[in-house]
Amino acid sequence: MGVTCVCQVPVAEGKSVQQTVDMLHKKLEQLGAVKQGSFCVDCETYHATGNSSSQPSKLLYVMHNSETPLSCLALFEGGPCLIADANFDVLMVKLKSHFQNAKGHKVESRGSRYRYCDFLIKVGTVTMSSSARGISVEVEYCPCVVPGDCWNLMKEFMQSFLGPSVPELPSVFAAKPEGLFAPADCVDTMTQYLELFNKLRKLQIPGSNVR
Amino acid sequence: MEAPPVTVMPVTGGTINMMEYLLQGSVLDQALESLLHRLRGLCDNMEPETFTDHELVYLLKGQQGNPFILRARRSLSHPTAPWHLRYLGQSEVGDKSRHALVRNCVDVAASHSLPEFLNEMGFRMDHEFVSNGHIFRKGAMKIVVSKLSRILVPGNTENTEHLSLSYLVELSVLAPAGQDTVSEDMRSFAEQLKPLVHLEKIDPSKQRH
Amino acid sequence: MADVVNVGVNLDAFSHAISGIQALRSSVSRVFEFLKDGMKNRETLEGREKQFISEFQENLQAVNRDLNELERLSGLVGRPSESHPLHNSGLLSLDPVQDKTPLYSQLLQAYKWSNKLQYHASLASSLLNQQSLKRSANQMGASAKRRPKVQPSTLVLPPQYVDDVISRIGRLFPDMTIELFRPNGTSAVLLVTLGKVLKAIVVMRSLFIDRTIVRGFNENVYNEDGKLDIWTKSQYQVFQKVTDHATTALLHYQLPQMPDVVVRSFMVRVIGHQSNLIALCRCLSISDPFVSPSQTWLRSYIKLFQSSCQRCGRFLQDGLPPTWRDFRTLEAFHDTCRM
Repeated sequence: MGVTCVCQVPVAEGKSVQQTVDMLHKKLEQLGAVKQGSFCVDCETYHATGNSSSQPSKLLYVMHNSETPLSCLALFEGGPCLIADANFDVLMVKLKSHFQNAKGHKVESRGSRYRYCDFLIKVGTVTMSSSARGISVEVEYCPCVVPGDCWNLMKEFMQSFLGPSVPELPSVFAAKPEGLFAPADCVDTMTQYLELFNKLRKLQIPGSNVR
Repeated sequence: MEAPPVTVMPVTGGTINMMEYLLQGSVLDQALESLLHRLRGLCDNMEPETFTDHELVYLLKGQQGNPFILRARRSLSHPTAPWHLRYLGQSEVGDKSRHALVRNCVDVAASHSLPEFLNEMGFRMDHEFVSNGHIFRKGAMKIVVSKLSRILVPGNTENTEHLSLSYLVELSVLAPAGQDTVSEDMRSFAEQLKPLVHLEKIDPSKQRH
Repeated sequence: MADVVNVGVNLDAFSHAISGIQALRSSVSRVFEFLKDGMKNRETLEGREKQFISEFQENLQAVNRDLNELERLSGLVGRPSESHPLHNSGLLSLDPVQDKTPLYSQLLQAYKWSNKLQYHASLASSLLNQQSLKRSANQMGASAKRRPKVQPSTLVLPPQYVDDVISRIGRLFPDMTIELFRPNGTSAVLLVTLGKVLKAIVVMRSLFIDRTIVRGFNENVYNEDGKLDIWTKSQYQVFQKVTDHATTALLHYQLPQMPDVVVRSFMVRVIGHQSNLIALCRCLSISDPFVSPSQTWLRSYIKLFQSSCQRCGRFLQDGLPPTWRDFRTLEAFHDTCRM
């Protein structure tokens, strides 16, 4: 696991989401990137029911990533996170009287996975209740483990196919002290996806597509 | 090694509806050696395995009904191994045709942040204990002979006291729901352990006062 | 025509000689087979050795016997005819059915190629001798005579001495840790961890660097059985490139014949008096130990992902960061920008 940056790419003016994704694919292929299958990241939202205690109920997110197909990641926003095996989903079914699955809130990003040298690029369409909400681009630089070290290098790479809309250093890394390296799991990646999903979710007027 | 291209979409789910078939019994400390000897002879030929686990039992109290119980276990002898989270459903004992206690069971391997995470979910630790002993296998059957110790100072697994002068013996099988034939195998295996230990299906609900 | 008759007379001797050669070859390969298999498992070490030696002697005697037999037979065969430039094989040209067995023309082609090969090899050898990159102890030819006599002694340094040198280098730099292993005998294998950037495995022969391999910080350096894995190359292209450059560097820093290095190495007796030792220091850590000990070659890779190329000013070229470090200035360059 290297250093990963997940960002949102705005839909090109006068183009559809799919057309913009195709354009990104074309640019990557021109660069010399090779397509290696597809990927999927999804996120389910649960909220605690009947929480008698005074604290407001927090949202619990359960996420899956095709890069680690046998595990799932459960996390509270800004809180602790848990990496567990796929049986955690079964456990959440058992827990349904305490944690309700907000079905309309399921978000996922699906798309193609490209490799270019030591970079791994995933261009995905973010969908929520079967409507496309935006485009996510994940760039991973595999050989490096210190985000601060290779950020300029990654930025240069992203500029080469994203143009000027290159993001700033993800806040997950910015919050960490310099030199602390990304752990071997994909928590940092998933946190970034979650931020992106939440941002896209809020874009739409609540109630239009959400139940 | 290059990462393999991902084509398989993640499976949401895992193994649904696994049942645990369980028989329990106990032996006095003096009888332990002869029981282990017998088990070594009966079970699959493998290196004798011992374990020392720390189990924490968590409760989540809702507005009504019984609290939701989860058991979190960690190995004290392999501190880097993942935690083991276990949900056990309502046990079915009434059916006379079954020779073992049957209950729904969900096993989850989890990272070390488990206690903190359960707290955030609203679970509260109810009690904890240390269990150490031996584990045997015969086919799908698992035989655990363990000593339970209570923890005198909360959180300190060094400072423990034996609960009793005997060992708990458990014979269990995990199988998908409906495979009642496994209870047949369990009974015949339990027969072979007599008279060293009597394994029975014990209704935990009746043990509560 | 006389030749043909001559051959006819000796045909019997020829066939004997050929089978003699075959016998010799098989007995020689038996010797090596035997050596390869090593000592058989016996009750006592003494018995094992005794058995081994006696069997070995037997095998050698068989070789000797076959050789004598062949020498005797070669006398019977007689001298090859001098009349043809290709000696006896020239007789092949007399074969009337050229179309079916084009042996002669093929033979001529083979000679041509072999001559060419020899010519090119001699050119290459003279060129390489000028570069003198030879690092092995058994150098051949004229250069062996000129080689300083200290060379062989570097191969028999006591392990403690090597340990001492390595630990001294290790103490110089806090961001570089060096672990020393001796998996087989006295030869040391170093595991150098540089910050959180890379891990380098350096295989030593005494104070010679034999081989080096660089892997990412998050890659495995141990096999499943817990031993240091000195063969598998990095899965990342950037570290494969760095491995190539490190190999170049260790060749560069290991020129026993380069007078300036030798002179300077003699000036610094603190660290050691062998040029190889100096080379080791420089390759591992110190670019120029006598000028600026804080500057290091391998250590300059701590900024592998942070520095841009000094020539083109960019970070990436073909997806790789600047992997080359100049030996003198330690400036970062892309592989293709360094010329």
